[in-house]
Amino acid sequence: MLKQILSKLPRKSSKSDPLDCAGSDSSNNATNFGNEIRRSNSGNATLNGLNVVKRMSSAIFPASVTAGMEVVEPYLSFKDVSNAEKQNLFVSKLNLCCVVVDFTDPDKNHVENDLKRQTLIELVDFVSSGSARFTESAIAAMCKMCAINLFRVFPPKSRSNCTGGETEDEEPMFDPAWSHLQIVYELLLRFISYSSLDAKVAKKYIDHSFILRLLDLFDSEDPRERDCLKTILHRIYGKFMVHRPFLRKAVSNIIYRFVFETERHNGIAELLEIFGSVISGFALPLKEEHKIFLWRALIPLHKPKSVGIYHQQLTYCVAQFLEKEPKLASTVIRGLLKYWPVTNSQKELMFLSELEEVLEMSNMVEFQKIMVPLFRRIACCLNSSHFQVAERAHFLWNNEHILNLVTHNRQVIVPLIIPALERNTKNHWNQAVLNLTLNVRKMFCEMDEELVLACQGKFEEEDLKSSVAAEKRRTTWERLETAAGYQPVIGNISILVKPATCSVTC
Amino acid sequence: MAMIDEPLYPIAVLIDELKNEDIQLRLNSIRRLSTIARALGEERTRKELIPFLSENNDDDDEVLLAMAEELGVFIPYVGGVEHANVLLPPLETLCTVEETCVRDKAVESLCRIGSQMRESDLVESFIPLVKRLAAGEWFTARVSSCGLFHIAYPSAPETLKTELRTIYSQLCQDDMPMVRRSAASNLGKFAATVESAHLKADIMSIFEDLTQDDQDSVRLLAVEGCAALGKLLEPQDCVTHILPVIVSFSQDKSWRVRYMVANQLYELCEAVGPEPTRSDLVPAYVRLLRDNEAEVRIAAAGKVTKFCRILNPELAIQHILPCVKELSSDSSQHVRSALASVIMGMAPVLGKHACTGLNLKSSHFVQKMSKVKAVACSPIPGLTWLEQHWDATIEQLLPIFLSLLKDEFPDVRLNIISKLDQVNQVIGIDLLSQSLLPAIVELAEDRHWRVRLAIIEYIPLLASQLGVGFFDDKLGALCMQWLKDKVYSIRDAAANNVKRLAEEFGPDWAMQHIIPQVLDMISNPHYLYRMTILHAISLLAPVMGSEITCSKLLPVVVNASKDRVPNIKFNVAKVLQALIPIVDQSVVEKTIRPCLVELSEDPDVDVRFFASQALQSSDQVMMSS
Repeated sequence: MLKQILSKLPRKSSKSDPLDCAGSDSSNNATNFGNEIRRSNSGNATLNGLNVVKRMSSAIFPASVTAGMEVVEPYLSFKDVSNAEKQNLFVSKLNLCCVVVDFTDPDKNHVENDLKRQTLIELVDFVSSGSARFTESAIAAMCKMCAINLFRVFPPKSRSNCTGGETEDEEPMFDPAWSHLQIVYELLLRFISYSSLDAKVAKKYIDHSFILRLLDLFDSEDPRERDCLKTILHRIYGKFMVHRPFLRKAVSNIIYRFVFETERHNGIAELLEIFGSVISGFALPLKEEHKIFLWRALIPLHKPKSVGIYHQQLTYCVAQFLEKEPKLASTVIRGLLKYWPVTNSQKELMFLSELEEVLEMSNMVEFQKIMVPLFRRIACCLNSSHFQVAERAHFLWNNEHILNLVTHNRQVIVPLIIPALERNTKNHWNQAVLNLTLNVRKMFCEMDEELVLACQGKFEEEDLKSSVAAEKRRTTWERLETAAGYQPVIGNISILVKPATCSVTC
Repeated sequence: MAMIDEPLYPIAVLIDELKNEDIQLRLNSIRRLSTIARALGEERTRKELIPFLSENNDDDDEVLLAMAEELGVFIPYVGGVEHANVLLPPLETLCTVEETCVRDKAVESLCRIGSQMRESDLVESFIPLVKRLAAGEWFTARVSSCGLFHIAYPSAPETLKTELRTIYSQLCQDDMPMVRRSAASNLGKFAATVESAHLKADIMSIFEDLTQDDQDSVRLLAVEGCAALGKLLEPQDCVTHILPVIVSFSQDKSWRVRYMVANQLYELCEAVGPEPTRSDLVPAYVRLLRDNEAEVRIAAAGKVTKFCRILNPELAIQHILPCVKELSSDSSQHVRSALASVIMGMAPVLGKHACTGLNLKSSHFVQKMSKVKAVACSPIPGLTWLEQHWDATIEQLLPIFLSLLKDEFPDVRLNIISKLDQVNQVIGIDLLSQSLLPAIVELAEDRHWRVRLAIIEYIPLLASQLGVGFFDDKLGALCMQWLKDKVYSIRDAAANNVKRLAEEFGPDWAMQHIIPQVLDMISNPHYLYRMTILHAISLLAPVMGSEITCSKLLPVVVNASKDRVPNIKFNVAKVLQALIPIVDQSVVEKTIRPCLVELSEDPDVDVRFFASQALQSSDQVMMSS
């Protein structure tokens, strides 16, 4: 869609312009942005021109649309004015676009809408032609225009109309004003990536508040908007070094709010996507601040039930951390175990695949730190009555690296796993799982038959004892209850007695 | 058993249980913490159990949540309030964990303990705890601390009070928005404990900062504080400090902020007094009732009665009533639904004000007036103006009310019906029965089972309001029809409903209007319907009493034990078990037990299981009697 619009725009210079590629890759993934930032100034901003604009534009800015007409009539086309006038016209047009038009009713303001749209396209074209010069006043006008048009409050999520309310279809909502917003985003992107843009001046306008409000927009329900934002924020991170710590902190805050307060945010996946490349750019050794981000933000992100939406990006971020610092593996696994899903099988599948990925990057020392709780959990997964979960857990042994880790630590791991395998062979309902269990057991036998036999024997013994143990637990508590009864206590305390249920449920 | 003689070490039992892999067992043992404490005695609880818990908080969040809850009621087990401070350390740690539920519960428990502690103990241990948390390194501790100030502050000596206020104001400027949000949402509670001199100086400046926070989410919570603070201030201070804020919030560009304002605007009316209410709050509220965003209108519509209750009725009739009329045909069904759930309260509110001038009891007057309306003459001279006034109000409300009762969206109708007791008071059921009955019948047959469920739940209310006569004619058949619904939940609710009707109108009525119809259905060819009837019988039996149960209900149940479907048979066993305590011992011996014995030899395993279970319980009843 972006490309379509841009292709319709008249191109003034057919020469290969470095900014052309900036435009075309804006709709692509933003991961390769690093190259662009380093691109040298294209040098079409002459000192002379800058001075002219500065002097004249100071008269325009911060005048509103209605005022400032005496300088340049904003409805003129860039073609029709002299080069010297062009910069003035640029600012005038930016100011003109500060008028927000209503898009909720398609029949209203038709002329006005078209005019603004036309102006915005002219602006994009002007900036992409490389002839724009971002003086301070132009930067201010640009930021103001973007702020007015983009920073808005999203409408409430529409309630479903059917009374049943059981089918919550997650169809993305599309903003009716998108045809305009899209061009504004395009303009902002080109502005941020403009090679001659002076970050020192621009940071006065692209400040903390601007960034916070830009981040607020990530909650948009429109995936197209979030995609634009992702690219833009990524460039801001690249271009404005001073803002990096603030940006990281602000994103962490969004994550904390999402995890600990609301569990509602539409843009977590996009934010994590940006962070994927941010993390891969971290210098070694990792700063404490970055590790805290892993513990406090990324790992708790496993908790919300909507983790499926951003799990892929999350796993990527975690993997980036481990690639930088393999010693973090045990922390990550401990985190996964902490947030391990109890009832949600789909989520459990995701956890298992992430776990495999993390284990793949773990060394022996890290593995040994967490293997006991880890394989207790895996034993539960092997027994899962959801066959996909059980299957996925069995597949862990297909991984060479994991198998190697297990083999080295079989004295610890086999006793944890054999009871689970035995339980499966006795009563797992699913034939495929049953076969896998037999395979894994066979593999263990080949690894160390003596150990397996010993574990099996112990399991049967404990299985027999389990009812005795339960009985013992019951009597112990009973005795405690009696002992407690003898002690005088202030206030009245109800003793736990289960009332016999009287009603009958048919 | 040999182990009886083993010595018992309560702490060891707990340690052992908390090591178990099975979280359910760990959870159970935490839930029985009080047993362990009682077995240990107060002193050892203080010296051994509590320190053990303080050190062992590395468990699953679910276990920690249970621990936080248990500790909140633990004062009696540690030896009463004079030892309450030993409970603080484990809860302090729980206040810093990541999981929000655990932290919230720990704060709640701390507040509960703190509010019972002696003043000197508060100063010595509780206030330092609050200070430590407020200076916590991670945001979780600071978030928790915000909820404890209102307990700590009142007992603090003057210098500490100053310090606490300073700390709170720092929390309101914390760089984590999480902390600021917590501080903002607890501000009202804290402010209520602060002396009025400091209230104006310190708290108001904190409040003003919060209302200008750069995060929407913080400002939003500041709105919540408006009403709470408003109530604490003198009216004139409220007008200068709170009123401008709330008026500007009511026009905020964020609908969430406006939504919050709409939700609590009515609470401010009293705080600012009548004149500012008329000049500022009524216009603001009218704007909110006509807001562009449906969510805001929903919130505003839901408060319409509460708002009118505070206003003088003339203002309400002049400004609010026209909006109500608009809202009753709002494009959003949720707005109409919100309105429907409160509009019934409007009439007495508007009427009551009119009445109080003449010292008449509202309901009395209302009854009179509805008669007046019916016969169109005035029994009390001198009331003419009021009557007209009252009539006009009702005349405006009645169409709104009737149109909502015919709304295409079932929730709207349901909300009206759920407030039927108020309808009766105001307009009299005669006027309404014409519109009411079709609405009920239509809802009773709605294709969404949740709607049917909702109307069933109102049937006992309807019954009590409409009286036996109306009920017999019109609604009896519906109640029976629900017993044969194709959705289980409806059949279940229908069975409950007949029980509640029997309770409402008494056994005699039930014998005539319910029991025969219900028992008739036991021969339904579909076994699920027969099962519903068995369920209904088990519910009706206690209401009907022993005699009717033996003569009417029991034979039907016994007969059903010869059903060909095993599910019916084991449900017979369950029902018989439920009947045992109701009927006479001789009946158990003569009728119930033989039937159960027969079932306990059934070829089906489940039937045998439930039959033998029932037999066992009859043995127990015999033994105990």
